[in-house]
Amino acid sequence: MGESAVGGARPLVTDPFDAVPGLAPLRAAAWDGDWAATRAFFEGIPVADAEGVCFAAALLAGVDRTEWFLEKAAKAEPADPLPRTLLAERYIHLGWRARGRGLGKDLSRDQAELFQDWLRKAELLLIEVCAEHPAYVPAWTARLATARGLTLGQSEARRRYDRLAEHHPHHVRAQSHLLKQLCPKWGGSWEAAHGFAQECASAAPDGSHAGVLVAEAHIEHCAELEGAQAREYLRDVSVRDELLHAARASVLHPDHRRDWQWTESHSTFALAFSLGGHLGDAARHFAALGDTVSETFWQTVPDWKTRFTEFRTAASATL
Amino acid sequence: MTTHEHPPAPELDALDALDALDALDGIVRHTTVDGIPTLFAPRPGEITAGLAFRVGHADETLPTAGITHLVEHLALFHLGLSDLHYNGATASTYTLFHVTGDETEVVTYLNSVCAALHDLPMDRLETEKEILRTEAGSRGQGPMSSMPLWRYGAQGYGLSSVDELGTRSLTADQVRHWADTRFTRDNAVLFLTADRVPDGLDLTLPAGHRFPTPAPSSALPVTPAYLRGEDGHLVFTSVVRRSTAAAVFAEVLGRALFQDLRQKGGYSYSAEADYSSRDADFATLTAYADALPQKQDAAVGGFVDAFARLRAGRIEQAELDSARGKLLKRYDVPDLGAALLPSYALSLLTGHRSLTPEQHRDELRAVGIDDLREAAREAWDGGLLQVPARGAEWAGLTPAPRFSPSGVSGTLHPSLEDDDVTLIIGAVGVTLSTPGGLVTVRYDACAAMTTRPDGARCLTGLDGFRIAVEPTLFGDVTAERIAVLDKAVPAAAVVPLPARPAEEIPQPRERTAPDARTPAGGRKQTEGRKRSEDREPAAGRVTGHFVLVTALATLWPVLLVALVVNGIKDSSPMGLAAIAGCALEFLLIRAARNLYRTGQPTTPQ
Repeated sequence: MGESAVGGARPLVTDPFDAVPGLAPLRAAAWDGDWAATRAFFEGIPVADAEGVCFAAALLAGVDRTEWFLEKAAKAEPADPLPRTLLAERYIHLGWRARGRGLGKDLSRDQAELFQDWLRKAELLLIEVCAEHPAYVPAWTARLATARGLTLGQSEARRRYDRLAEHHPHHVRAQSHLLKQLCPKWGGSWEAAHGFAQECASAAPDGSHAGVLVAEAHIEHCAELEGAQAREYLRDVSVRDELLHAARASVLHPDHRRDWQWTESHSTFALAFSLGGHLGDAARHFAALGDTVSETFWQTVPDWKTRFTEFRTAASATL
Repeated sequence: MTTHEHPPAPELDALDALDALDALDGIVRHTTVDGIPTLFAPRPGEITAGLAFRVGHADETLPTAGITHLVEHLALFHLGLSDLHYNGATASTYTLFHVTGDETEVVTYLNSVCAALHDLPMDRLETEKEILRTEAGSRGQGPMSSMPLWRYGAQGYGLSSVDELGTRSLTADQVRHWADTRFTRDNAVLFLTADRVPDGLDLTLPAGHRFPTPAPSSALPVTPAYLRGEDGHLVFTSVVRRSTAAAVFAEVLGRALFQDLRQKGGYSYSAEADYSSRDADFATLTAYADALPQKQDAAVGGFVDAFARLRAGRIEQAELDSARGKLLKRYDVPDLGAALLPSYALSLLTGHRSLTPEQHRDELRAVGIDDLREAAREAWDGGLLQVPARGAEWAGLTPAPRFSPSGVSGTLHPSLEDDDVTLIIGAVGVTLSTPGGLVTVRYDACAAMTTRPDGARCLTGLDGFRIAVEPTLFGDVTAERIAVLDKAVPAAAVVPLPARPAEEIPQPRERTAPDARTPAGGRKQTEGRKRSEDREPAAGRVTGHFVLVTALATLWPVLLVALVVNGIKDSSPMGLAAIAGCALEFLLIRAARNLYRTGQPTTPQ
């Protein structure tokens, strides 16, 4: 995979639909507005793989105009939790898109109202789904996103996570949602955020993705700092040690199996190590990524694609 | 009240209803005593007796609020200090005089109450009013106290939220008339835990008629609705059709809340629900949970989810069985007939049909999960939720109105405390304009207006909105403007209050930034924003600003006259400029006055 770095000529693959061949049927179904095919795709995901369902649901939510056929499906199958949850995820996506990525205080009144309206629509669907199917993890996961956007408070987000964890104690996507909520910008504290990330990572089985939460917490923390503090934060030895430990216990662990979240996790670790100047540590993650990358955290870096390629080249030189 | 439940029945005439009690033969017996329908059933030991009248808070008006309570107090006065265990109680739709003692004591008590109702000791009126005011002061306001006001407004069933204003101004004639018309033998029911009616009863009361329970008013255009309450408390009320299923649902809800909010989540210490009949056809369902401030968001979320689960019909058979079991247990008591007497008596009073224990048991056994789901949906749809923090729009609830739909036009009186607040006194009503919205009380929908000799007027609308017109807090509220109010508000709504000590007359506080979320207006809180007792003295202050503006106000007329004289000399048209100059002078004087009063620069209106 190292050869892809040479010259950086090949374009980066940022869309998971392009990066993962197994997701192609979902994109086809979404483009065709084909509910039967969409349902068949989700039914093909093993029941135990709630992470997979949530990943695919979030991905589907990003496909334009899917709310049209999802609304019909939710109406046609009022007892099925899947169409309502997928529709809610789509509404949440539309809400965040209307909101933009700025700070809450910078939002215009219209933006804020539109954002809240979409999230409320999603939340009303999810209240129903969770009432009818209290063990349906994808709906609880989406409700962590609505809880944050609707600013329902720390204790309410925690309650939702606890309800979810009763049924799925190591659900990394839900943990990632709660981690954001625990950050100071959503009303939490760094102690709570780092504590939760460490707690999830150490409780998770070896080779799970949970270690990435440690990296997410550090990246979020770094993003809140300014100037020299921001530059120094990820260079700190103790931060690096935590990252290394988390990576070894998760995506670099021999028990780790490649799945749909692979790109996201390696991208996050690659970013955390790169920004901290630990290019040797980033190299294995870059090697795992090849030309694929998840934008989720990288897009917060100015001119991120160029920076990604530069970091990747520099990292591969350390090998 | 009781959660004992029977299905609704058509209104029945009192004595027909008594005949209908034939079905209860073998459980309770019935007769009449001096024209009063009487129920009795034996119980060994002392006798408990109750004389109930179909009159309560909900029958009053805001200016007469407390009149029923006052009659009850006056009727019991003659009994004075005795060791007898007796009391009176005034509820929303009934008033009950009850006693426990031997036969002679019970006869003495009942005879004394009826004799007193005939001829109330009016020499005690002022003292009892004073006692009731003291009682109200010590009662305090619980977290649920404002729910009826938000649902019904300041009338009918909403009056249980309000101060007993009648204890201020009621006259002997009003009280006597209330006793003569409401405390009659045709508006009463007697019950006794005895195997016969005791000898020596003389319960002669005037004839009258049975008053139906009042029709409910509404101050909630849309339900389910929510309002913001104080930290640490979550309250839900709803109005549901009376049914056995709804009573079982209240039990199920209480247990679900206890399980989710306390046992599972640890967000609450108390979590409970209650079902109480409101009138013959409807009942009030109440749910309550407390929470520590740092857990209250979760308590709200848990409440919404617990209710959603019940609405979705995800109710375990075990939940139904244990709730049903608790209601069935009420019948596992010795001397069942005696235990059921109060419930049967109240049903008879409100025109609600009475079921035999066997009929009610059958109904309880017939309640299924589907019935509970329907009851849950009905309860939610009519619900009013008081949340401690944030809102509840996310859960599909609509904010209960905090502002009136419209304002009135009239004279403008800027607040001397807050630049963004203006009082408007018009021909049809008064409006308080605040940054959050308008609060209006129309004279023709004014429930009560209290008056003070210092000119203060406080108007409360039938919808529960309240505006305090304090001449000291708004500009130009002259005696003439107050006279407009006095003339327009119907005399029956006026409640004169005594003069206040000078230190209780409010003075403008330091100006603060207007807070749109807790406007000076708003239901109940309209004159809210508690005014601190150690506020600024009333005297004006000479500040730097004041000196500057006064100097300008003094110099400008000199300059103006000079300009006008020069203008006339030049024979150019000076009318407009002269008027503008005068207007500026007026503004300067006014600004100077405001500075003197408040020490803060203001933008004159």
